[in-house]
Parts: sequence; structure tokens; C-alpha cells
Amino acid sequence: MKVNQRELSGAVVLELQGKLTGGPEAEQFRNIFKDLIQDGKKNIIVNLRKVEWINSTGLGILISGYTSVRKAGGDLVLCNVGDRIDSILYVTKLNLLFSAFEDEADAAEHLRKRSTV
Amino acid sequence: MPGSQKILELVIPSDFRYLGAVDAAFQDLAREFSCAQRWIDDFSTALVEACTNAIEHGNKYSKDKKVRIVVELNENKIVGRVQDEGEGFDFEKFLSDSSPPDTLSERGRGIIIMKAFADEVRFSFDPKTGLCVELTKVCGQTGPHSSKAKK
Repeated sequence: MKVNQRELSGAVVLELQGKLTGGPEAEQFRNIFKDLIQDGKKNIIVNLRKVEWINSTGLGILISGYTSVRKAGGDLVLCNVGDRIDSILYVTKLNLLFSAFEDEADAAEHLRKRSTV
Repeated sequence: MPGSQKILELVIPSDFRYLGAVDAAFQDLAREFSCAQRWIDDFSTALVEACTNAIEHGNKYSKDKKVRIVVELNENKIVGRVQDEGEGFDFEKFLSDSSPPDTLSERGRGIIIMKAFADEVRFSFDPKTGLCVELTKVCGQTGPHSSKAKK
């Protein structure tokens, strides 16, 4: 799975491409979050527009990232969640954990407001 | 295609990189029956999850062990069987326990996902061949979905 990283309005956007299934990717992800947090970047937007589907281990990766940034005082939100992933988040009740937005702009605005509270 | 049946048979290594091939093969097969995309996606999600469990928990990522998948599809019903070469587990306990894992737990959602997207989930174990998960879904019926939850 590919990860494109860029900044937007004070947040970091991680645009994922492919299938989020865990396994070797888990280590790649953990390192990305570790490096971001070390650099003081703890507001993360995970853009799932190019992610076709996710399995339970892929969910674990997202939760791991969420836990890491929350411990650092930041937040991780999702955007561009497709129907298939939305269904999976719903049945696992993870839609109650992850805030999801239509696009990066909405997600960035949410994080900006959160940071100013 | 009244009365027709399609069968998909795959054998994959115990490697998550092959899950995409399972999804793609099933999607291609199911579209021949003009099934609704949501129905196809639902069953494929359950099937991929069964394969995930077979790779991780059954075969423990062993390069020497394979995952065997057989899917039988007709216009009324689909049955998928995923067979690992592992030592089994107490599936009765997991099937009867409907409580979800702790929200921040990174694991423990595989069976929840399978039960949500298949109409029936059955486990069987043979010491000679390993654990088999059988997923059944009636054509046209989709699982519980939500609209996107925004905060």
C-alpha cells in the first residue's frame, strides 16, 4: 500500500492507496506515526479515497495510529470514506471512534477548531 | 441465468498480499449474476475476513501452509468455504459471545465482521485438514449499513 503525505492547514494528510490489510504494512504505518509525532505533528487526516477495502487487521492499524496521536495530544480523523469501509466501521462500531468527513477541507477545519478550543 | 451455478476455487499462501486476489476473483464471478454491488461487497468482505483469520490465526503466516477457498454461487445463494491448515480454536465460545472487543483494542473483530456480512457463519474442524469456515448468504439481502456518521 502506498502512502502519500502532505500538509494542509496545520494538519498532516496521509492519503492511502490500495488495500489496508495489515501484515507488513503495520510496521510501515507505526513508523510513519512515530516520526510524525516526534516532529510535533499530531493532527492527522487519513484520506481513504483510494482505499478499496479494509479488513480487521487494517482496522487495527488505524486504531494504533489513533491511539498514538491521541496520547500525544492530537487527533486522527478520516475523510473520503467509501461505502464498503463505512459499512465495516459501522458494524464494528468504530464509526463511534473515528470522526469521518466528506473531504480533506472539512477534516482540516475540524482539527483547526479543535486545536483552538 | 436461471439454474446456473458458478464455482470459484482458489489456493493462496498464508500472506495478506493475496487477499486482494480473493476479493477480485469473487467480484468478477458475482458480477456474472447481476447481483447488486452492495451485496457483492458484503459477501466479499466476509470472505476476505475469513481468509484473514485463516492466514493469521489458523496458519500463523506459515509459508508451508495454504488457505483453500471454494465459493459456490447461483442466483439464489452463495456459499463460501475457507479452509486453513491450522490446529483450530474454541469457535463455539466465539460464536456465542456477541460482545464486541474494547473500542481501542487493535484485534478481535474478525468474527463480528463475518457475522455481520454473511447470513450464516459455521465453523468445523478436522484434525487432518484444519479449520473450515463456511459463509452463506442469500442473494439480494444486505447487512446492516449506516449512512456515514459525522461528528
